[in-house]
Amino acid sequence: MKTIIFNKHKFQISNEGILFWFDKQIAIISDLHLEKGSSFGYSGQFLPPYDSEETLKKLSKGIKSHNIKKVILLGDTFHDKNAFNRMPEKAFFLFNSLIKKYEVIFILGNHENKLKIDNINLLNEYVIDDIHFIHQALQKSIFQISGHFHPVATIKSSIKKITAKCLLHTNNHIILPSFGTYTGGLNINDPALKPFVNHKSYVYMLTKKSIYKFTSKEVEI
Amino acid sequence: MSDILKIEPIDNWLKKNNWAIYNHQIETLKLSENGYDVLLVAPTGGGKTLAGFLPSLNDLINNKPKKNNLHTLYISPLKALTIDVHRNLTSPIEDQGLDIRVETRTGDTSAYKKNRQKVLPPDMLMTTPESLALLLSNKESKDYFKNLKYLVIDEIHTLVNTKRGDLLSLNLSRISSISPDCKRIGLSATVKNKNAVLKFLTTKKKAKTLNVEETSVPKIDILETNNRVPWSGHMASYAIRDIYQKIKKSSLTIVFVNTRAQAELVFNKLWQENDNNLRIAIHHGSLEKEIRRKVESLMSLGKIDCVVATSSLDLGIDWGDVDLVVQIGSPKGISRFLQRIGRSNHRFDEPSNALLVPSNRFEYLECLSAINSIKNKLLDETKEKKGSLDVLAQHILGVACSEPFQVDELYNQVINAWPYRNLTKIKFFEVLEFVKNGGYSLKHYEQYSKIGVNKDKFYAIKNKSIRNRYRLNVGTIVESYMLKVKLGNRTLGQVEEWFIEGLNEGDTFLFSGRVLEYQSISNNSVIVKSTSHTQPKIPSYAGGRLPLSTELSIEVRKLLSKKQFWKNFPSQINEWLKLQSKFSNLPSLNGLLVETFPRLMRGKKRFFLICYTFEGRNANQTLGFLMSKKMQRIGYKPISFVATDYALAIWSINEVTDVNIILNDDLMLDDLYEWLEETPLLKKNFRDAAIISGLIERSIPGQKKTGKQVLFNSDLIFNVLKKHEPKHLLLEVAREDSYRGLIDLDRLSEFLKRIEKNIAHEKLDRISPLAVPLILEINRQTIDKSEMEEYLLEELENEMLSEVGLN
Repeated sequence: MKTIIFNKHKFQISNEGILFWFDKQIAIISDLHLEKGSSFGYSGQFLPPYDSEETLKKLSKGIKSHNIKKVILLGDTFHDKNAFNRMPEKAFFLFNSLIKKYEVIFILGNHENKLKIDNINLLNEYVIDDIHFIHQALQKSIFQISGHFHPVATIKSSIKKITAKCLLHTNNHIILPSFGTYTGGLNINDPALKPFVNHKSYVYMLTKKSIYKFTSKEVEI
Repeated sequence: MSDILKIEPIDNWLKKNNWAIYNHQIETLKLSENGYDVLLVAPTGGGKTLAGFLPSLNDLINNKPKKNNLHTLYISPLKALTIDVHRNLTSPIEDQGLDIRVETRTGDTSAYKKNRQKVLPPDMLMTTPESLALLLSNKESKDYFKNLKYLVIDEIHTLVNTKRGDLLSLNLSRISSISPDCKRIGLSATVKNKNAVLKFLTTKKKAKTLNVEETSVPKIDILETNNRVPWSGHMASYAIRDIYQKIKKSSLTIVFVNTRAQAELVFNKLWQENDNNLRIAIHHGSLEKEIRRKVESLMSLGKIDCVVATSSLDLGIDWGDVDLVVQIGSPKGISRFLQRIGRSNHRFDEPSNALLVPSNRFEYLECLSAINSIKNKLLDETKEKKGSLDVLAQHILGVACSEPFQVDELYNQVINAWPYRNLTKIKFFEVLEFVKNGGYSLKHYEQYSKIGVNKDKFYAIKNKSIRNRYRLNVGTIVESYMLKVKLGNRTLGQVEEWFIEGLNEGDTFLFSGRVLEYQSISNNSVIVKSTSHTQPKIPSYAGGRLPLSTELSIEVRKLLSKKQFWKNFPSQINEWLKLQSKFSNLPSLNGLLVETFPRLMRGKKRFFLICYTFEGRNANQTLGFLMSKKMQRIGYKPISFVATDYALAIWSINEVTDVNIILNDDLMLDDLYEWLEETPLLKKNFRDAAIISGLIERSIPGQKKTGKQVLFNSDLIFNVLKKHEPKHLLLEVAREDSYRGLIDLDRLSEFLKRIEKNIAHEKLDRISPLAVPLILEINRQTIDKSEMEEYLLEELENEMLSEVGLN
């Protein structure tokens, strides 16, 4: 884990991509994209239908050894409006035990516009102290923790280039990497991310084993 | 030799041109008339193509079958070949005013022409295996092929034991079921196992092979040079000036290289030498079609002096009067080399002229071995491969696209294809399940099934869009994602995406024979501009380098083990080997030479272990891994290894004292599976299988990648599948391809059996002369190639040479 001080609050990022706010017993995760795999089924591409199960297992494993009460999902939890209904039994079971065990806050993502699930409220925004939890970062000076972009970064070592998912920290923004098993990435040098990357940015690259912190100068932009 | 064919217009045409009729042409005609399927095995330039078409021409001229029916189908592995053969056939037809329509149909054919061919089929159609698969997936395909009389398959030996061949074989079997009396003629270059090719061509009992012996022995030399042949490397820059002199003396030269990167570099260097303003062109698979066509037509018009080419010019195309073939680097296999030298003097009663240019010292030995093998008429053997299941999956969907099918009928049709003859019904059903809905034990996709059973118990596609998607994904060749290279408004060709990702703005690279400066990527294109730089980064492409063939490897060991051969070597090679025998030992014919010696590496003392296996890079790579694992367990603390075609070098912290406990039978058992699961090769093969089988779709040129990717990354599903369904069909395919292909498992196990109790271990106190190229390779592979480091390499080379007394 690596510590990030964000408007004087202390956060910690795990290499799986879970952001912890231990002072508040909160875990923050973004872009699960549950049932992304089966969404391709409409067009006759039958991807292995185990991505939701994988994602949810990774999630519960990642938080269960910590003292967590609340889980904030930063949107695009489901890949599309029918994703919830398509979930295989095992994934469904895992999802239910998650919402039973923790107080789960669902932020509304752009993939979830028409999604309706009984007893689940999708919020546009959730605020604790002075920190705003939203799906997509806004160009405003409020302190925001968001997802949406699936940021990845590339670093050039002397031998080869390494590309990995990353957490992006720039001034009043923390942008989380996507957590879903089948989610791809958008390089932080993409124009879409430009408003949120500058010389004061920090990039936390997440690998299987560890987390590496770089300044934006060290990462290829 | 009889002088007439008794096909009047053809006889007239041959006579007019003063061309002889060959016996095998008459034989082919006779056999076919008597109802045989014929495999004609002949060297290039033997009038093979005409022989293949004689039975069909005869039928069209003398029996005048019904018009507006497809009469003859010609299939070639190369698009360019279909065009060439079309042109050659048109000549007698036009000359004699015959009423025979010949057309081509490939990926390059316009939609308009394709539609017209559907409505009004030509008498003869020249096509490729992929275009044939597409034709057969049409709804009207049964009607289209029902009067087919002849099938001619050119360069058939290149298709046997490949996935492309699997696809073709399945489709041939399908044509047989539509038109059972259609006769087949296969045209093949000389191969070792003719029977395998015949079986691939036809499973009928009435089938014969006609073998035409080579009448002239090709004249092959190794380039003589006053320059020093380098110790390692693959670019043969030392020889450019000498090669240029040879080009100057010939009227048309093809310079063959093994990779596209080599092609670009050699082309660039030749132009730097080009004081006489010779017309030198370049030809390789990544160049834009128009550019390639232009080079080809300039060749046939004699308006060019030299072409630098990769395998894109390998196969039977007759582009003009080539009088010299230069091969840079070892050809790596005998058959491939024969194919290439056959490009010169395309008349089979005149000897071909070829020049070999080794790019390093081991390659010198390899080149010499290749020449010996050709003298002794040795040929490479291809390993038999059973029909791949990913290809079968693609085929099943293709059949369903054309018409509803019955399971038993299709199964029988499939096992009638030679590569699939042993396919069990259980496996067949497994593949069918996969096509229907992915073949997972979790039944998640049944509602989306691509094919379903209709009320008559026939399988049919669920809707039209499945056919359209199938059509975009046909074929067994999976390319990396390619980007167009654009200079202004001109498209120069395509490069792999990963290559461009390695460039920064302002970097220069060689492409299409020019030095280009990279500017940006936009709309799936690489925007470049011309530059005055002469020292570019070289584009390097995936694949292209074949491992040394088993047969050549035996020949190289023979050369090394018998000193009486050496006296003909150039003095620098001779001296090198003599010194080796004095200093250490020489690799024996059937045993294994292992050397161990200490050496400083980046300031630290390391122990090197070298195995001179000559088993090819892939087998050596696998061996390197397995040995490292074992050394680790024993406590030698291996650090890393480097594998070349000839040898394997492992370096470790502790000295290996007993090599016999490492190199024995158990080696294969212990860690192989574990390694395979971790190798990038398995992932790559999985990706290919996933695309061929239709699990994930091909990237379609022009399809836009938007913010979050449209294309699915196969690595993501690979990991999930491995965990949840480790026995899934596609993982099975990927494993099999990996075992069979690059890892060269069979070869390795034969090797271990051969060397058992026959290992010569030389404990040296320093590096041996034979090990020098290998140690140089270590530095080449592990050090980044900026100019500064090239300089360091040179320094290192000199240092080592004085160490072993060669400098």
